[in-house]
Amino acid sequence: MESGSFKDFVTDHLFEFFSYTAYANMTFGHVIMILVGLIFIYLAIAKDYEPMLLVPIGFGILIGNVAFSPGMKLGIYEEGSVLNYLYFGVSKGVYPPLIFLGIGAMTDFSALLSNPRLILIGAAAQIGIFGAYAIALALGFDANEAGAIAIIGGADGPTAIFLSSYLAKDLMGAIAISAYSYMALVPVIQPPIMRLFTTKKERLIRMKPPRAVSKLEKILFPLVGLLMTCFLVPSGLPLLGMLFFGNLLKESTVTKRLADTAKGPMIDIVTILLGLTVGASTQATTFLTPKSIGIFALGAFSFVIATTGGVLFVKFINLFLKEGNKINPLIGNAGVSAVPDSARVSQTIGLEYDKTNHLLMHAMGPNVAGVIGSAVAAGIILSFLS
Amino acid sequence: MKRVLHLKANGLIILLVLFGSVIFQNSHAQGAVDLKLNEILLYNDSGYVDEYGQRGTWIEIFNSGYSTVDIGGMYFSNDPNNPKKYKVAKDNVSTIIPPRNYYVVWADGNSLKGINHLNFTLAEKEFLFLYDANGRSLIDSIQIEEGIGKDKAFGRLTDGFDDWRVLERPSPLSSNQIKEEPSGAEKFGKVDPTGAGMMVIAMGVVFSALALLFFIFKYMGKVLNKEKTKTTKKDNVDVKDMVEDEMSGEVNAAIALALYLYKDQMHDYENTVLTINKVSRTYSPWSSKIYGLRQTPR
Repeated sequence: MESGSFKDFVTDHLFEFFSYTAYANMTFGHVIMILVGLIFIYLAIAKDYEPMLLVPIGFGILIGNVAFSPGMKLGIYEEGSVLNYLYFGVSKGVYPPLIFLGIGAMTDFSALLSNPRLILIGAAAQIGIFGAYAIALALGFDANEAGAIAIIGGADGPTAIFLSSYLAKDLMGAIAISAYSYMALVPVIQPPIMRLFTTKKERLIRMKPPRAVSKLEKILFPLVGLLMTCFLVPSGLPLLGMLFFGNLLKESTVTKRLADTAKGPMIDIVTILLGLTVGASTQATTFLTPKSIGIFALGAFSFVIATTGGVLFVKFINLFLKEGNKINPLIGNAGVSAVPDSARVSQTIGLEYDKTNHLLMHAMGPNVAGVIGSAVAAGIILSFLS
Repeated sequence: MKRVLHLKANGLIILLVLFGSVIFQNSHAQGAVDLKLNEILLYNDSGYVDEYGQRGTWIEIFNSGYSTVDIGGMYFSNDPNNPKKYKVAKDNVSTIIPPRNYYVVWADGNSLKGINHLNFTLAEKEFLFLYDANGRSLIDSIQIEEGIGKDKAFGRLTDGFDDWRVLERPSPLSSNQIKEEPSGAEKFGKVDPTGAGMMVIAMGVVFSALALLFFIFKYMGKVLNKEKTKTTKKDNVDVKDMVEDEMSGEVNAAIALALYLYKDQMHDYENTVLTINKVSRTYSPWSSKIYGLRQTPR
């Protein structure tokens, strides 16, 4: 009798234990998401696609999709769980400005200052954002959701997270994953569009070497940049303020330690936390919805429009420029703010057609302008839709 | 020279005064000043009840700011000569008002009922004052209108704004604007269902912001380069030669590579080659033996 009750006791507890394991709680959605996470990690390690982002996000997806039994204060959406505390920085938009501080401290705006007209290409590429906004509205998304989704076209992960934390919290995971995925796929998405809209003659255009930029200009840039952009769009202040502050730390040369921390340990720590928690926020139960699929499709579309917009804009302004002053349209794609990947794409494609035509430094101009442009665009969307 | 300096100093003072006055006019300190007397119901016949289930005159206070404010320690009064008539008890969780939130006190003249029951009552044409914790700084005041009627409130039409009216529908602990206001996104979505308006306006703003930067840095570059040229001319350097001698990108890249390789080879230890660098010993009291040794006791 006693041995029987002990057997029952053990069996009951084993069954109870099993009910708590991820095997018992797993759904088909979890399996799909785990596969997505593994693909991210594979792309990062084997193909070297944005490994700094895809490894933490990919691993985060694995963490977020270990199917636990709800109510154990484990999940990222369960109040009081450790992951929920870490996710606070994402849900309240804390991490993106810190990332921007680091980006500011590591970005050299010389390429832009030596040829200021390249700034305008950074503005033209933002058409991707507003094109995607129109399509998202047509697909039935609400205006606030459409605004948050559209920012994927700016190719700026932190900005996308920042905006969605205000406008569409429920879609944040899908938007962040989509933005980072397409940023990693910049070398795959952009080249065919660049080739499609340019002639061989245009691809061979050689641009004047950039002039030397004085230290004074570099110091003035973050100050003037902040005042000019934030007075116009104050809602972009958290992102632009931090971006320009980080840049002043770098360019002033008297705060080297602060600049080193901002662009080194600090951005690394925030990237780890951001990547991991964004990845973990893709719990299959909340993530796998038809809306998420729509967001992925719109993300790809917005990237295509942004790249097209940048390339066509360069072709347009070339109509007004004299021979010898023309801009190579292959740097038009760099108007999206995937720094420095899209500039690297310009360089690679440029070299395919002329082994001695180095476009990297020229492309960095619109590339960093794109960072400013997408932050301004986010500010506008926020002020209209919040 | 002296006069110029004097004028400059005067100009600076005027500028500072102007700047100060602009800031003073536009600034709103966060904290106690964010509290507003928001709504008062004198004749409570069939409305909101207190924690004892009794009806009485209630006063709603609105925290118009974006930070938490503790009303504990502040004073309510209906007599300007006695600003410290009723002190709200301090160190209570219940007196903390979250941002953009509301707090209700009862003007029933029975402070024994709890900390949110004032020790005075209110009547028509009477004033109500809210003073800061020092009992001197007036935060807000209002004179109650005559003939408000039963179960009608006297309050601000929009929370925190100076548009006091008789409100047909009292709204204790909630916004005085009862009508459903659509959100910014809903309004925008309705007015611009295709997104074309957003595209035109937003692209216009993005272009304007970046075009501003373009113009500033285009001309700033030109001005700074002109200054540089002037200085170079002054120093008797032939600018034309300098421009012609400017190195191409390839030469720059070669120099950079050479420097990188040179620096990369400056190892202390490499395979079996050991480089011994001279260690400089500069004097410092921290490394001095005189200060480092303990004095021999006498």
